[in-house]
Amino acid sequence: MSEVEDRLRRALRPIDPPPGFAERVMRALPDQRPTATVTPIDIVRTSPRASFWRRVSAPAALAASLVAAVLLGQHVAIQQEERAGLAARQELMQALRLTSQKLDDAYQAVQGTPAPAQEENPS
Amino acid sequence: MNARIALCIAALGLAGLASPAAAQTPGQLRLPEFAGLAEKAAESVSVQLDPQVLGLACRFLDSSDPEQASVQQMCQSLRGIYVRKFTFDKDYAYPKSDIDGVRRQLAAPGWSQLVGATSKKENTDVNVYLLIDKGQAKSLAIIASEPREFVIVNIVGNIDLEKLHQLEGQFGVPELQIESDKKASPKAAPAPAPAPAPTPKKK
Repeated sequence: MSEVEDRLRRALRPIDPPPGFAERVMRALPDQRPTATVTPIDIVRTSPRASFWRRVSAPAALAASLVAAVLLGQHVAIQQEERAGLAARQELMQALRLTSQKLDDAYQAVQGTPAPAQEENPS
Repeated sequence: MNARIALCIAALGLAGLASPAAAQTPGQLRLPEFAGLAEKAAESVSVQLDPQVLGLACRFLDSSDPEQASVQQMCQSLRGIYVRKFTFDKDYAYPKSDIDGVRRQLAAPGWSQLVGATSKKENTDVNVYLLIDKGQAKSLAIIASEPREFVIVNIVGNIDLEKLHQLEGQFGVPELQIESDKKASPKAAPAPAPAPAPTPKKK
């Protein structure tokens, strides 16, 4: 153990710096040290009101975005439903008109009389 | 384990295939899409109003319009409206076998032919069928064919013939001489009408 200590002591023994070391270090340093600015804590500290809005602004924006997205989605869905409804209504009326026309054809065929539209030129 | 998963997937697939047939409303005909005919036809109309779409259409009917108001009254009891109409530029551009396939479905029990009119001179054919169940018309089918046009109409639901009758004047639906639902039973349904004297049709 004492041998290890002796070796450590020899390895870590203080040695003098080479001549001119201190001057070289001083030359390597910048000419002017940056001066630290000290700001009074009263100026740095924000008011409680501003802090509150800073805290809630992000969640509020997110919530507003969500609400806007939901409303927009609902509006688009309503518009799509309206378009589909009007198209379906048009198909319904078209189908019933066609049904009516064919029932009329059947009726006229059974009756053996010309349809009113065919009587435009009675001659 | 893999075999079990495959079996489950196959079962789900079969269930998916079977569900449309099982969900088909009584009285609903299986109308072909006639996809090939649509390309050849000069004009084609395909209406496929299943219960959901029909309900949507009924909600958008304008009650201030007399025509639509009359439809609104009978709309709620309907379960579907299906129409195929094809018009061609030349005679018999469509295979009659397609129509015969639909006509065969109307030979099923419950269906009665209300009107059958054939003009051999003009080669026109109009047939009106009703599916009667417990004295109530559950479905109406019309098959009308001409050399250059054929129309298949299938209206499914509790068809109130009285309300259909009330459409007279709105769409030009003629009086079908149907007094009430009770008379429109299979036994009371008139036999197919003989071929009437052909009437000139205005094209």
